[in-house]
Amino acid sequence: MNRPLLQVKELSKHFGGLKAMDNVDFELFPEEILGILGPNGAGKTVCFNLICGVYKPTNGEVILDSQRIDGLLPYEIANLGVGRTFQIVKPFSSLTVLENVLVARGITRYNSLSKIWSIWQSSTEKNAALRILEHVGLADMENRKAGLLPLGYLRRLEIARALVVGSKLILLDESFSGLRSEEIGQLESLIRRIRQDGITVLLIEHNVRVTMGICDRIVVLDHGRKIAEGKPEAIQQNESVIEAYLGRRRGADAA
Amino acid sequence: MNAYVITIATIILINAITVCGLNVIVGYAGQISLGHAAFVGIGAYSAALLSTKAGLSFWAALPIVIAICGFIGLLLGLPSLRVKDDFLAITTIGINFIVEAIFLYIPFFGGALGIGGIPRIMLFGMKVKGLVFFELCLVFLLLVLLICWWFTRSWAGLASFAVREEESAASSMGISPMRFKLLAFVIGTAIAGLGGALYAHYMRFISATDFSFPVSISLLSMLVLGGMGNLWAPLVGAVILGSLPEIFRPLVDYRILFYTVLLLLMIRFQPAGLLGEDSFARHVFSSILPGGKK
Repeated sequence: MNRPLLQVKELSKHFGGLKAMDNVDFELFPEEILGILGPNGAGKTVCFNLICGVYKPTNGEVILDSQRIDGLLPYEIANLGVGRTFQIVKPFSSLTVLENVLVARGITRYNSLSKIWSIWQSSTEKNAALRILEHVGLADMENRKAGLLPLGYLRRLEIARALVVGSKLILLDESFSGLRSEEIGQLESLIRRIRQDGITVLLIEHNVRVTMGICDRIVVLDHGRKIAEGKPEAIQQNESVIEAYLGRRRGADAA
Repeated sequence: MNAYVITIATIILINAITVCGLNVIVGYAGQISLGHAAFVGIGAYSAALLSTKAGLSFWAALPIVIAICGFIGLLLGLPSLRVKDDFLAITTIGINFIVEAIFLYIPFFGGALGIGGIPRIMLFGMKVKGLVFFELCLVFLLLVLLICWWFTRSWAGLASFAVREEESAASSMGISPMRFKLLAFVIGTAIAGLGGALYAHYMRFISATDFSFPVSISLLSMLVLGGMGNLWAPLVGAVILGSLPEIFRPLVDYRILFYTVLLLLMIRFQPAGLLGEDSFARHVFSSILPGGKK
């Protein structure tokens, strides 16, 4: 395999005495879908927030394309081509769906004192944003207020925004949670299409079936530590994973 | 029009200009400010001092006044905008009281006597007063509205809306929240400076109490009444809150009662302001006027 796109090295985050993330290592290769799996409170979202710059790691390194990004601020990491979604959706509620995507399209301008004064309502911008909306299955929704959309559409809107920002890598934080089964199917095929376009995906899930079905490799976290890593089939057979996660929830997690 | 009506109308326009500045900060960027009068005061005192002590004309002093207000806005915004919501509200109240106290207790600013003898604005060799002053304010208001309209159409404006709606989502899209909050704050305080300068040259006498905390509240009330984040809200709010006291003058004893009833009706039926989201007036206005809330 070629050079990793993202490397997480000995990453730790302690909140007082709580080790939310403890010495975790993993690598993400270009055009791969890597899943981070783990029960609630395993440290998945903390891991995301460390990569995105929301938290500063207590210890360890995050390397994107051989550049250290730990310690950078969220907007600086976004500027390096890392897009993300949020576990609890964060739409710009009073803006329209189209405007939500246009905010993301502004990423090439927000750092230039001269470019921020130009007008954002141009037809080129609008058409580019419409194409992205079509890609994620939100065509015809562009003039709706984002705050009025149901959850399934909001998840796709977040992916649309992340796609605009994430030219290299997108991070999906439990994009499947709270969705109906047909919505899950649509989202799965969307993520596969994204990968075909050459974008690397790191996703957090605690829906086991989805993670197994869509990911090339899986990293399993429990209590802030990595307890397994490998192909989905290998993870399914892994004793400690079954003990920490699958065993307890088998049968109960039918979604 | 008689002089009385012109005076009321001029004050309304000056307030509308000032509230436009507040709208950039509170309406567009979502950063609550309960100390806007302080920046109007800084504008008014700078204009007054530059014309009485330095002998500059209104026109020569105006760019300096606006720059001073923007710069002080930047200095005070840097620490204040690090806190949010209730804490920002309290911080800006604090700024208001401190600025007022500085005007009141430092002899350089005239102390309790304020500053008098501020010269009239000269335009084409004529003294600007009465109806001409009103028209001058109207031109400035249109200019400010144009700037605000441009702001809502610019990427800077879009970034500010994003920060207002969801700060963490905005920063995941390459927007530095601090940068755009500061930008909005500086634009807002600079516009307040313009309003202050006009106020000083119109009243020709200013004192610290003209820019006290209750004035900030009334400026914010105008904005809330009009509908935060709407381009035309400052004008609508300033017209209503500026003319009501005059209209209700025969009922002077019951004026506060009327305000209270008005406020309660607003909260009950138009919580987003007269021009806010889904308001009665909005449906009518949006078809004929450009620049609704974005």
